[in-house]
Amino acid sequence: MTAIAATARRQGGRDRSALLTGLLILPASIWYVFLLVAPLAIVVVMSFGEKARNGGYVPAFVLDNYARVLERPDPFLDSLRLATLGTILTMLVALPLAYFLATRAGRRKGLLVLLLVIPFWTSFLIRTYSWLIILGPRAVASFFQDLLGDERFRILGTDLAVLIGVTYGYLPLMVFPIYVTLERMDRTLVEASKDLGAGRWATFRQITLPIALPGLITGSILVFIPMMGEYVIPAILGYGQTFLIGNALVLDFLEARHWPAGAAKAVGLIAVMLITITAYLWFLNRGRQTRDVSVL
Amino acid sequence: MANRDLDWYLRQAARTRVNRRSFLAAAGLVGGGAALAACTGGATTAPTSAPGSDAPSVGPTTAPEVESEFFLYNWSDYVNPENIETFKAEFGVSNYVYDTFANNEELLAKLTGGASGYDVACPTAEFIPGMVEEGFIQKLDKSRIPNYAHIDPNLLSQSWDPNNEYHIPKDFGTTGILYRSKVVTEPLTSWREFYDLATGKYSQRVVMVDSLGDVLVMPLKMLGYSLNETDPAKLDEARALLMDLAPHILALDSDTYQDKLSTEEAVLCLGWTGPLLELRANPETEDTKYVVPSEGTLFWLDTWVMLADAPHPNASYAWLDFIHRPDIQALETEYNGYATPNVEAKPLVSQELLDDPAIFPPDDVMSNLEGADYLVTDDEGRLDLWADFKSALG
Repeated sequence: MTAIAATARRQGGRDRSALLTGLLILPASIWYVFLLVAPLAIVVVMSFGEKARNGGYVPAFVLDNYARVLERPDPFLDSLRLATLGTILTMLVALPLAYFLATRAGRRKGLLVLLLVIPFWTSFLIRTYSWLIILGPRAVASFFQDLLGDERFRILGTDLAVLIGVTYGYLPLMVFPIYVTLERMDRTLVEASKDLGAGRWATFRQITLPIALPGLITGSILVFIPMMGEYVIPAILGYGQTFLIGNALVLDFLEARHWPAGAAKAVGLIAVMLITITAYLWFLNRGRQTRDVSVL
Repeated sequence: MANRDLDWYLRQAARTRVNRRSFLAAAGLVGGGAALAACTGGATTAPTSAPGSDAPSVGPTTAPEVESEFFLYNWSDYVNPENIETFKAEFGVSNYVYDTFANNEELLAKLTGGASGYDVACPTAEFIPGMVEEGFIQKLDKSRIPNYAHIDPNLLSQSWDPNNEYHIPKDFGTTGILYRSKVVTEPLTSWREFYDLATGKYSQRVVMVDSLGDVLVMPLKMLGYSLNETDPAKLDEARALLMDLAPHILALDSDTYQDKLSTEEAVLCLGWTGPLLELRANPETEDTKYVVPSEGTLFWLDTWVMLADAPHPNASYAWLDFIHRPDIQALETEYNGYATPNVEAKPLVSQELLDDPAIFPPDDVMSNLEGADYLVTDDEGRLDLWADFKSALG
C-alpha cells in the first residue's frame, strides 16, 4: 500500500519535473524554430522558385538560380579571401591586446575593457564613416603622400582600407573570447614553465597559446562569419570597388527584386561557410592532438 | 593641421542634409547627425528656412471632417518642415507622421509585406504600374484636389499612368554630369566628352552613383540608343564601353559623392542635382557645375500616390491639395531644389532657381530627356552587365 503510494508520488514528481523542464526549454525552442529553422527553410524553398512579375517569389522547382551561382563564383571567392585575411589580421591585433588586458593591465583593467567597448555605443555606420575622415585625403593619406612624395597615394578605395575597416569593426568579437580564456589562465603554469628552463617564446608557444586556443577558435569563427557577409564596409571604405557576396545579395534582393536568385546565393553562402568552418575545426583538432603529444 | 581638417569635415557633416536617393545615408545618418552635432559641441543642424516664408496661410478651404492623423511614407527630408507645420495648424492634424524609405524597392518591399498603415507615399513614376498591378494604390478623386489644375499638362499622361488616375507629380529632375570647373577646364557638354575625360586626363578622379538605372544611361546614350534598351547585342556594346571605363573609376557611391567632389578627390561625377545647391553655396566649391548631356539623359519624376488602404482619406486629400497650393509649392521648391510641376507656383520661386538650367531644364533640353520604363528595372541582361561592371572595378 505505502509502496504503491510512494511510487505514485515519485511518478507524479517525475511528471512535474518533466513539465517544468518542458516549460523552461519552451522559450528557447520557440526562438530556435521561429528565428532559425523557419527562416532557413523559407530561404531554401525560395531558392528553387521563380521570380514574380513585380519582384518577389512564385513557387516552382527550378535549378536556374543555382546554375547562376556557379556561373559567377567571383563574389564568393572575393568574400572568402577578405574574410580569411580579415580574420588573420584581427587575430594578430587581438591576441597581444587581450594578453595585455588579462595579464598586465592591473588596476586599470576595468577601465581599459570599458574603453574597448565604448565606441560600440555608436552606430556601426557612423564608426565606418569616421574612417573616411581618418584615412581620407586630408588626414592619414596626405601624411603618406608627403612622406612618400607620391601625390597619387591613397588608402580609401583599396583592399587595404576594407581590411582596416573590417578588422576595426570586428575586433571586440575576437578580443573578448581570448581575454576570457587568458584571464582564467593559471599563472603558476607560466612560472613552472620558466622554472623548468623554458624561454619566453617556448612558454608562449607551449603554455599561453594552447590555453588561449579555445578563445582564438571562438573568436575567429565569430569574426569570420559576419566578414563573409560583409557589404557595408566595402561599399563605404572600398568606394564600392569590391563586389562581395553581400553586395551580390543586395543587388538581387533590392535592385533586381529577384528573391529566388538571392535565396540561392544565400544558400551558397551558408554552404561555403559550413565547409570552411568544418575544415578549419577539423584541421585544428588534428593539430591539437599532435601538439598535446609534444607538450607531454 | 589634422585638427583644422577634422573640424572642416564635422562642419560639412553637420551641414549636409540627408540626400534624397541616398541609401546608406538615410539608413544611418539620422542618428549620426545627432552624434556628430554632439561632437562639435552644438553645431546647428537646423535646416535654413526658405526665403519668402512669411507668405502662407491662405483662408482654409472648407475641408470635410479631416482626421487628426496623417501617415506619410517618403524619401528622407523631402518635404519643407515649415509646410508640415502650416498643414497641421490649418487642418487640425495633430499627429503628422513622416516615415522614410531609402529607395523605391524598400517602399515596394514594405507594401508587399502587407497592410502598411500609411496614407500617402512618394514613389518614382516608373514604379506606379507595378503598384497598380499589385493593388497597392487607389484611384484619386480629382474633384477633391482642386489645385491639381496647376499641374503642367506636359508632365501628365505618360506611360506610367496614361489616364492620370493614380498619381500627382511631386517634382522632377535629371541624371547628369557634375564637375569641378576649377580643375576640369575642358569643354564638357556630352556623355562622350565625359567618357573621354574620364578614361583620359581625369582617370581615377571619377565618381558615379551606385545605381544601375543611372550609370547605364551614359553608354546607351553615347551609342544613340534608348536608355531602356534591353536588346542583348546593344547591351554588349554598352558593356564594352563600361568595361573600358571600369579601371578609371575612383568610386561607386550614392551617399557621399558630394564629399569626394568637395575635397577634389573626384572632379568628375555622374550623379544628380541634389548636392549642387550646397556645393555652389560654399565658397571653396562654388565652381561646381552641372551639365545635362547633349545626347539626352534620364528624366525622373517623383509622385504622390494614395495607398489602397489609407486609414485617413480625408487628411490625405487635404494634404494632396494643400501641397500644390502655389505658395506652399513654391516653398517646397525652394527647400528641395528640384523642379516643380506646378505652373502657378513657378512665378513664386526665386528667379535664381528658375534661371538655373540644372534645376529647371529649358524646353529644348526637356525634349531630349527620356523616362525609365518599369519593365527594364529588373531586366536580367542589364543586371548581369551591372554585376560584371562592379566585379571589374578596383
